[in-house]
Amino acid sequence: MNKLLTLSNISKSFDRDRVHALKKISFECDKGDVISIVGSSGSGKSTLLRIIAGLEIPDKGEITLDGNLINDNNTFTSAEKRDCSLVFQDFALFPNMTVIENICFGKKAANNETLIDELMEFTVITDLADRYPHEISGGQQQRVALVRALSNNPSLLLLDEPLSHLDLELKDNVRNELINLIQKVGATVLMVTHDTKDAMLMADKIIVLNDGQIDQINSPPKIFNFPANAYVARLFGKTNILPREHFPDISHHFFDLDFGKDVVSIRPHELKIVHKNVDTKIPTIKGKVVSVQSLGSYSEVLLVNDEIEVSANIENDQKIEIGSQIILTIDKK
Amino acid sequence: MIKPAGSKLGVGLSNSIIKIFRILRQEFLFKLNFWTIPAFLIGLFIFIPMAEVLSSLTTYSSNWTHLKDTVLFSYLSNSLILIIGTASFSLIFGVSCAWIVSNYTFRFRKILEWLLVLPLAIPTYISAYAYFDILELFNPLLIWIRTNIGFEIMQLVNNSLVYLVTILVMASVLYPYIYLLARASFIRQGKQLSDAARTLGHNSKSIFWKIALPMARPAIVAGMSLVIMETLNDYGAVKHFGVPTFTSGIFRTWLGMGDLTGALRLSGILMLLIFSLLIFEKKLRSRSKYHEILNSKPSSEKKLLNKNKSIIAICCCSIPLVLGFFIPVSRMISWAWISRNSASDLDGIELIGNSLGLATITSLTIVAIATFLVFSARYYKSAITYFSNRLAILGYSIPGAVIAIGILLFVAQVNHLTNYVLTGSLYLLIFAYIVRYLAVAWQPINAGIESNCDSLNHASQTLGSSAYTSLTRVNLPLIKDTIITAGLLVFIDTVKELPLTLILRPFNFETLSTATFDLSSQAQIAESSIPALYMIMIVLAPLIFLNYRLENIE
Repeated sequence: MNKLLTLSNISKSFDRDRVHALKKISFECDKGDVISIVGSSGSGKSTLLRIIAGLEIPDKGEITLDGNLINDNNTFTSAEKRDCSLVFQDFALFPNMTVIENICFGKKAANNETLIDELMEFTVITDLADRYPHEISGGQQQRVALVRALSNNPSLLLLDEPLSHLDLELKDNVRNELINLIQKVGATVLMVTHDTKDAMLMADKIIVLNDGQIDQINSPPKIFNFPANAYVARLFGKTNILPREHFPDISHHFFDLDFGKDVVSIRPHELKIVHKNVDTKIPTIKGKVVSVQSLGSYSEVLLVNDEIEVSANIENDQKIEIGSQIILTIDKK
Repeated sequence: MIKPAGSKLGVGLSNSIIKIFRILRQEFLFKLNFWTIPAFLIGLFIFIPMAEVLSSLTTYSSNWTHLKDTVLFSYLSNSLILIIGTASFSLIFGVSCAWIVSNYTFRFRKILEWLLVLPLAIPTYISAYAYFDILELFNPLLIWIRTNIGFEIMQLVNNSLVYLVTILVMASVLYPYIYLLARASFIRQGKQLSDAARTLGHNSKSIFWKIALPMARPAIVAGMSLVIMETLNDYGAVKHFGVPTFTSGIFRTWLGMGDLTGALRLSGILMLLIFSLLIFEKKLRSRSKYHEILNSKPSSEKKLLNKNKSIIAICCCSIPLVLGFFIPVSRMISWAWISRNSASDLDGIELIGNSLGLATITSLTIVAIATFLVFSARYYKSAITYFSNRLAILGYSIPGAVIAIGILLFVAQVNHLTNYVLTGSLYLLIFAYIVRYLAVAWQPINAGIESNCDSLNHASQTLGSSAYTSLTRVNLPLIKDTIITAGLLVFIDTVKELPLTLILRPFNFETLSTATFDLSSQAQIAESSIPALYMIMIVLAPLIFLNYRLENIE
């Protein structure tokens, strides 16, 4: 059997049922998977991670880890007895212990000396062993926290916003390091993030959480190209949600409550300008340009007609003036 | 579909009940262990004396109608007058001094900032003895009023003077509670907001009233509730000046009239009053939202005062300091010098030993219990443990006399059931101190673990380490300083304590506080100054240390 983690119908509410943090969450995670849970803040993703780690007790539902039931109505395996490690958003390094003391703190770390040496060498923190957490940089603290969690040899590694505490420049480097490290140890990873870019770059599978419910589970390219609803579509970048009747050719569509009908998601880069004399079979959008914002290599153009408002990314070599009428067409199937 | 409002309410209520049951179920199924169960039980055990007093409200008392008709109203009104007066004067002293030393710079500012805490070393009853003859100063005035205006007016003036003096004497030693908290709040507010206000055209005066004071309100209210509790707790000062308050009424009903049930009933009513005050304060706080600005740089730049204004500032800060510390201490030193021969039968060494030993054992015990309780509740996030601990720390708001009565009642029941006599043992006295002062250690330790260790405890849990390892390797090293502070605070309070010690001490066992009280109630005020001075010296050392640490942190 390849299933490592199974959640079924996990629910949790706070503040005497006034806030439903999670509503009947169910998903599975295979051994070796890197899964990313994304969602805007308040979507319940951190609560979900804390429930899996055993730091929070759900109101209802079951969790199985590696074939063992760890949580249901009558069972609760406490955090210290669960075979998973959590890397905290603010790293939670013990300020009164040196780097090496932090890393060796885990209950099972004592038996894993060779693994610790290897991990420390791989992440280049061997020289920092005797420093205290406040004496090393944010990126280094991040690596120490990761090594500390991995030294316990968990079957599941949980990451809570692993890159959010780092500045932009550092982020790309650390992300690559993290991908390398995960591949090296072959860990199964469940990662919570609000940054969809991190999720796209690191995960095999993405779970989109919206207001305590799962909106979609799929691979990154599928989620980006075939979003289940407008929330998912918007979460992964700017997009135009337009009624489907204008674009019968586009196969992927979904029902949207705001419109009250079927809609399609067309990203700004999927639109291009056409001239009047093209084939009339291709669907087009005609309209008046209301704003043009240059963003370096391309411009963001906002087009309005009687029915819809569309944003498109147009390459800078095409001169467009505010107030002019243009025609856009879709570069997507 | 439109539902009637009633059914909506019913659904909400049943949801709440389901939720509470779910939480309780989880508590019992998953959170009971060798940490939370003892912590829960200890909390309940400490609450027993208070529960005894509260439950006595429903029992029958033959003298009660008499007490209710004669003295209850005057106890109530006198206590209220004292509370309002003492709180107001403490507020004026505390806030103005805190504002001056945290916002301006002038000659002697540093030393004044530091000296202003010292009146905390002086218990209210000792300050009262130091001013014992102050009322006599007004005798010529009273005689003049009697002969020229009338007897009734003289009585009125005399009464007002008694209250005014009692209030001033108490406020001048209690204001540091407000001063300390307000000063910390003013410093934490930082410069950012006052700079913003200045660029919007406000001057210092308007910044004080519109920004600094409202933002410091939670801290000031917290300080004021400490002042109020100490005022209600006082027995020595009110007895000395002859103001019949609730506390002195409890003593009089019980020891003077031998009416324990009546005293209990009075205690129960006082406790109800205090609890409603606490709830009112909580409501007040939760309705207004004031946020401390975190990460704002503390203001280090202070406005330089010119010579004239410096003199005014120095005078303002000196008034409470002179009233609350220098006058009492210097008078006592001179009396101690006068009575140095006649007080030779006073065994100073034994008294000091008793006070020091008792306070040391008490503070160690309380700190250990408080740490255990806080850690167990927080580490396992156990709601019922936390709840029982919240009950246990209520003792700090209850006057010592009330707690003593509750404990005696409890002891009598134990005696009745097991034939085991606890009365008059040191264990009982230490238990009483725990009931009264647990909160003094619990509050800072709880705050310390909450801010320093909660997330680290999660980390150590997910790394598979036991609660004991987390406590000894993570929590204790990180909150060591907080624990020392908490222990010293308990130590200071225990050395100064009077009513509990007076009632529950073993026969022939004297501490510095009881010796001071005994001597002065035998009208040997001059002789009582010797143990009083010893006490002040013992308390001053940890107080100065705490103050020094506090300033370094700020």
